[in-house]
Amino acid sequence: MSLLFRSRSQGAQQVKISGFRRFVMFWVHNAQQAVASLGELARYPLASLMTMAVLGLSLTLPATLYVVVKNTDAIGSDWQEAAEITVFLRKNLSQQEVATFTKRLNLSPDIESVKWIDKNEALAEFGEGSGFGSALDALTENPLPDVLLVTPAADKRSPAAAEVLLRSLKSEREVDEARLDLAWLQRLEALLNLVRDGFLALALLLCIAVVLIVGNTIRLNINSKRDEIMVMKLVGATDAYIQRPFMYTGIWYGIVGGVIAWLATALLIWWIDDAVRAISELYESQFSLTGLNFQEMLVLWLIAVGLGLLGSYIAVRKHVATIEPQ
Amino acid sequence: MIKFEQVSKTYSGGFTALNQVSFHLEPGEMAFLTGHSGAGKSTLLKLISMMERPTAGRVLINGHDLKRINSRQIPYVRRDIGMIFQDHRLLMDKTVLDNVALPLLIEGYSMQEARKRVQASLEKVGLGDKLRYYPMMLSGGEQQRVGIARAVVNKPPLLLADEPTGNLDPKLSTEIIKLFEDFNRVGVSVLIATHDLGLIARLRYRTLSLKEGRMINDGLQEN
Repeated sequence: MSLLFRSRSQGAQQVKISGFRRFVMFWVHNAQQAVASLGELARYPLASLMTMAVLGLSLTLPATLYVVVKNTDAIGSDWQEAAEITVFLRKNLSQQEVATFTKRLNLSPDIESVKWIDKNEALAEFGEGSGFGSALDALTENPLPDVLLVTPAADKRSPAAAEVLLRSLKSEREVDEARLDLAWLQRLEALLNLVRDGFLALALLLCIAVVLIVGNTIRLNINSKRDEIMVMKLVGATDAYIQRPFMYTGIWYGIVGGVIAWLATALLIWWIDDAVRAISELYESQFSLTGLNFQEMLVLWLIAVGLGLLGSYIAVRKHVATIEPQ
Repeated sequence: MIKFEQVSKTYSGGFTALNQVSFHLEPGEMAFLTGHSGAGKSTLLKLISMMERPTAGRVLINGHDLKRINSRQIPYVRRDIGMIFQDHRLLMDKTVLDNVALPLLIEGYSMQEARKRVQASLEKVGLGDKLRYYPMMLSGGEQQRVGIARAVVNKPPLLLADEPTGNLDPKLSTEIIKLFEDFNRVGVSVLIATHDLGLIARLRYRTLSLKEGRMINDGLQEN
């Protein structure tokens, strides 16, 4: 299309460049420029790889933190689900009365199940487990009360609802004391929130750092191609045309950086998984970290590419336009 | 084709490069622009190729006031102007083919389509067999001719040349000027800035002379 010479635009149409063809060629050129900028990166493999590694490793830390938060959330909700109320019964109740009370509680719609720990069984178990067997034999009567482990119904397991249930249990005639250990749950919740907030802030900071690093690298690229950009501008290249290869460079940084982030995150999780397993064994539970799933990997990749693109976009917007032919 | 109306250009430092310059280059005309270094030749060419904007006055190309062209449209204006430089401004890490094809690729040609026109353009300047060479492998005169091939490859109606023979001996200079004459003969308007007065004297074309930013002579160079 010619701005100044109307007859020329017809001339250009004679050389068979229709609108459709222009559209197709636009994409073909994009693909060519994408491949060309990959080739450009391959010419300086070490420098390119370093930028990619910075991008990838910067994303590794938030990704790993995310995995840790995700896993703790999973345990947290497990524990919250299992919120149990421990009910200590009065000591002077007969077996019959305890059985009746247990049955009555079982009928309540607020309660899913009730487990009765018989005081005699409990004493026997304690005697075996603790090694105080002979000392306990000296006791004339069982010091332990009957205990009921009450699991609230599914919709009564939130801390607030469980609290209400706890109060109603306490007011029962047969009950001496009932306990719902909410404090540790709330502490865990607060700790999780802290980790989550910290993770978000850290992720944000690292993302900004990545954008700045990519932007600076692209800026150096642009400066090293100053002469070429001037010549292109002299022969009529638009800024968009000149910018495209640099944007593709940013995208490639993101693509490879994202893969580096996957690998590093997987490595890091494998590394701390042993430690996590050791801790969970100390707590007599079987727990192991679940890494990133396919969707999360895809999101991580998109974030990496997005950051690469954003960094290069900022750099080209700022610097390509300022290079003017002399 | 090119019309200057009372054009002045003062740079930000206060230096006045052009002072109320007016002239009109007719379509299909070929002219020289001469003057000492610093007389304003380069500034005048920069105003046409929109590397600079005038401080006062109007520059028109084909009747279009360049004042109405915004900065986003400048690339499209430059596609209509073939520009040739003393230092030829070739990309040294690209082959002759890639260099000459650049304006066509920018316009959206595929490499296959561009190749044919690049070949034709290089044959016109006598370098049809040097497609795969790098500029470093060519002589100064050949490099300049690659620059000319690049300037004419998309058949612009206007050619601007800034000291195209500056680094060449008289024989090569004559060859280069002959090329411009060939393009002029098929209707291209040509404006050549040069301080090579001997060349101008031999060729008897219209000559615009600048001195300290003023147009002191517009016509045939007096002997």
